[in-house]
Amino acid sequence: MRNYVAVVFNGTSKAYEALHAIWQLDSEGEITVHGTGVVHRNDLGDFQVDTKETHPGLATAVGVGLGALLGLFAGPAGAAVGAAGGAAIGAATGGAVGVVADLGRASTRDQAGVEAAFVLARGQSAVIADVSEDRTSYIDNRMSDLGGVVYRRAKSDLEDDAWFDDDYFPSRYLYPYEYIPSAYSGWD
Amino acid sequence: MDTNVKDPKVKDALDNVRAAAQQLHAAIGDAAAKRNEAAKADFQAIPLKTKAVMDSIKGSIGAQNEVAKKHLTEALTHLEATKKHADQSLKNTGQAFQTSVTQTLADARAAVEKVTEAVAAKRSAQTHK
Repeated sequence: MRNYVAVVFNGTSKAYEALHAIWQLDSEGEITVHGTGVVHRNDLGDFQVDTKETHPGLATAVGVGLGALLGLFAGPAGAAVGAAGGAAIGAATGGAVGVVADLGRASTRDQAGVEAAFVLARGQSAVIADVSEDRTSYIDNRMSDLGGVVYRRAKSDLEDDAWFDDDYFPSRYLYPYEYIPSAYSGWD
Repeated sequence: MDTNVKDPKVKDALDNVRAAAQQLHAAIGDAAAKRNEAAKADFQAIPLKTKAVMDSIKGSIGAQNEVAKKHLTEALTHLEATKKHADQSLKNTGQAFQTSVTQTLADARAAVEKVTEAVAAKRSAQTHK
């Protein structure tokens, strides 16, 4: 079955351990990974997506696509809120610099809505993966060992959701190989 | 001895195709992250790398199951588009260059996706044997 998985950790380094573990499961043939990405949220609520791309237009698309995906993990209404928040999620080269999500300018009520829509709390990092898995236990067990909380949605759920059109379909913005920016340690 | 136990160190032809497609996407992504002239210099090698992945798929497609074959055929279509846009990017400048680079990256991503779907189909078929 084709699923999107988000694994949330209290800390950046565990997220990268998880990223490596997911690709290791692929290498062992237990699952097949179509793409992965790592999203961070700092104590101020700002988001950062690890990416090589510096293109402003592409960075916005990455933010909208992955923001909507993060929202979807929180429930059916989350995708729209996630996309709106995700439009402001920046994409920073190499993971060294955080990009302001600008949620601080939202009204208190709006911000509460945004907070509720994300599975990623302040100070947490998440690995997002697009996987084919015959059994969910491979990822669940490995991530549990690392202290991660696993959220899972079928890819077919996204295909039925109006937010995920061709421009913002998240698979396009997930790396199809293990990508860890060299400067990630700056986020801990 | 159980001969169905898979040794993860032994990569088959499809695994090699996937690795080559992943490397192609990585090379395009690395080039795309650079400034115009540096990106263009790196892009010189992309059409040839793309052709190498296409040849690799053509060499291995015959041994795959029907589902995997379908995915690999779609991957070839995306790789043709990758090559076309990579060729265009070498001729373009400015915004047109950026546009063709973005298209090249998107096409390569779609190609890797299809190759990976072929891998998933093959693994799933082996699991359910």
